Amino acid sequence: MFFHIVLERNMQLHPRHFGPHLRDKLVSKLIKDVEGTCSGRHGFVVAITGVEDIGKGLIREGTGYVTFPVKYQCVVFRPFKGEILEAVVTMVNKMGFFAEAGPVQIFVSNHLIPDDMEFQSGDVPNYTTSDGSVKIQKESEVRLKIIGTRVDATEIFCIGTIKDDFLGVISDPGAAV
Amino acid sequence: MASIEPFNRLVRLAARAFYDDISMKGDNQPKTSRGDNRGMAVVVLDALTRRQWVREEDLAKALKLHSKQLRRILRFFEEEKLVTRDHRKESAKGAKAHNVAAAAVASDGPPVTKEGEEKIKMHTHSYCCLDYAQICDVVRYRIHRMKKKLKDELDSRNTIQHYICPSCNKRYSAFDALQLVSYTDEYFHCETCNGELVAESDKLASEEMGDGDDNVRKRRREKLKDMQQRIEEQLKPLVAQLERVKNLPAPEFGSLQTWERANIGAFAHGDPSVADSSRNSQGQYGTPMPYMGETKVEVEMLGDGVKEEGTESGKNGSELKVLPPWMIKDGMNLTKEQRGETSKASKLDEKSEAKDDKKQDSKDDQIIQEEYIKAYYEALRKKQEEEEAKRRMQQEGETIVSDSQSERQVGKKYKREDEDEGNATEQYKLADLNAEAQESGDDEDDYVWEEGSVE
Repeated sequence: MFFHIVLERNMQLHPRHFGPHLRDKLVSKLIKDVEGTCSGRHGFVVAITGVEDIGKGLIREGTGYVTFPVKYQCVVFRPFKGEILEAVVTMVNKMGFFAEAGPVQIFVSNHLIPDDMEFQSGDVPNYTTSDGSVKIQKESEVRLKIIGTRVDATEIFCIGTIKDDFLGVISDPGAAV
Repeated sequence: MASIEPFNRLVRLAARAFYDDISMKGDNQPKTSRGDNRGMAVVVLDALTRRQWVREEDLAKALKLHSKQLRRILRFFEEEKLVTRDHRKESAKGAKAHNVAAAAVASDGPPVTKEGEEKIKMHTHSYCCLDYAQICDVVRYRIHRMKKKLKDELDSRNTIQHYICPSCNKRYSAFDALQLVSYTDEYFHCETCNGELVAESDKLASEEMGDGDDNVRKRRREKLKDMQQRIEEQLKPLVAQLERVKNLPAPEFGSLQTWERANIGAFAHGDPSVADSSRNSQGQYGTPMPYMGETKVEVEMLGDGVKEEGTESGKNGSELKVLPPWMIKDGMNLTKEQRGETSKASKLDEKSEAKDDKKQDSKDDQIIQEEYIKAYYEALRKKQEEEEAKRRMQQEGETIVSDSQSERQVGKKYKREDEDEGNATEQYKLADLNAEAQESGDDEDDYVWEEGSVE
C-alpha cells in the first residue's frame, strides 16, 4: 500500500557545498540518499515529493560538516499481509517462483500455487496447467495475495499465494508475442 | 404479514450458539464465584427479543441486573453489531414520552412509568434495540468466517511453507527463500551444508505446530475435521432459521425518534403528519408489534397458548416441514384427532430442538397427551361402530372363517397402524382404508381381537 507521509532526517553536508546553492545541494543529496531505501517501519521510499522544512544547521566540530534536520514529504510503499498485488515473475524453480512488485520481492512457494499447475523444467522453467492454457514463467505478470511479510530494518520480504479466487496470471508473455 | 417471530427465534438461537459462555467481567474485578455471570448475555438478548426500543434502566430493572452490568453487556453487543443503542439527554418529560410510546406498543401491558424516575431532571438516558436486519448479516458472516477459517487450515492454505535440511536438520521458512535459492539448480540449498532442502509436507497451521512430529499433525488434522463436523451439526438449526428468514423483510423499528413518534402518534404528541408518515413506513412491518412488549404478555401467551403451539410445531414437523410455523398460525382449525395425532410428533420435535421448547413444561405435555388419548378413543369408538354395522351385515350372509394365520396377519396390520401413529400421518384415514380392505377379506374376527387388546 502506498502512503504519503512526512519523514525527518538529519543531513550532513560537506563544507564545499556551502554557498548560494546550499539548499538545492541539500535537497538533491536528500533525494539521492533516501529514494529507493527501505525502512522496516515505513516501507520503501518511492519518491520525495517536497521538502517541508530545513532546520538550523549545526557545525560538527573537527570535520566542518554541517548537520541539517530536514523534514520532507515522500511516497512510501509498504506491503501488508492480505494485500493483493500485481507483480512480475523474476524466477521460477521447483520450489515455487519469485516475483517483484516494484522494490518488493515476493516468493510464492509451490504449495501456494493451485494444485492443477505443474512445474515444467527445461529451458524456460514454468508452471503450467494440464491443458496448457495458463502458464507462469519468467516475465509473466501475476496477481497475488500477500500472506506473510518479513520486515527487517532495511528489507521487506513477502510470501504470496495465487491459490485463491481471482489470483494468478494476468498476462502471459508467451501468449502476447 | 411479516412476523417478528422467526427473527426472534434466530436471535435466540444465535445467542445460545455464540454468546453462551461470554463472561461480562470488568478487567479490574476480582473473579469471585458470585460474579460468574456467564449466560447473562443470552438472558439479555432474550429479553430484547420481547421488546423494541427500551430504556436500559428499565431493562436492567426488569432483569434485576445492575445497570452497569447491563450496560457492559449491551456495549459488547453493540460492538458485535447485534444491538443499536441511542443516547440522549432528556428531562423527565422526554422519558415520559418514551414510556407512552412503550405503553402504546404493549397495549395491554402494565404502564411502564415509574414514579421515582419522573423526578430526575435532564439525565442522559440510553436506549437499546435489536437490529434484526444487521443480526441476520452478522450471524451469516460469522458462520461463514468460522467455516472458511477451518477450511483454509485444512487445505493448508495461507500457511508459510517450511523447509528442512535432511543432512543437518536445519529448518528454514519460506521467508528465507531469497537466501536459499541457488542458481545452479532449481532447489533450495542449506546455508551451512549446502544440502538440498526438502519441503515439510502436509503442514497444518505451522504457527501453532512448532516442531511437532507427524502424529501431532495428524491429530491436529483430525481435530480440525471433527470441529468442522461439529460446527455443521450444531449450527444446523441456526442455519435453517437463517434460510427461513432470508426472504422475509426484517422488522425495522427505525431510529429511536421515529419509533417513538410512530408509537406516540395516537396520543397526538408532536407533529401529527410526521407521526403519520413514519407510521406508514412502519406499517408493513409494524403490525405484529403490539403483540409483543412486556414480558408479562409473553407469559400469558404461554399459559393458554401452549396447546396450540404444540400442535403447530407438531404439524410442522410431520407433514409441513417446509412450512414455517408463522404461516399456519391463523389457519389453525385443527380437529381433535389431528391434535392428538401430532402430539407425538411434537414431542419428537422437542427432542430435536430442545433449546426452543424449553418453555413447554411437562404439565402442558400431559394436557396434550390427554387430548390425544381422548381423540384416539373417540376415533376407535367410531370405527367400532362402523365395524359392528358391517359385521352385522356380513353375518347375515357368511359364516365366520377364522384361523390362526389370518389372526397373525391382522397382528401385522395392527402393528403397521401403530407405526403410522408414530409418524403422525393421517392415521385415521389409513385405518379406514384397512377396514375397507377387510370388507372383502374373511377376517372379521381380528377386529374382535383388536378391540380387546386396545381397550
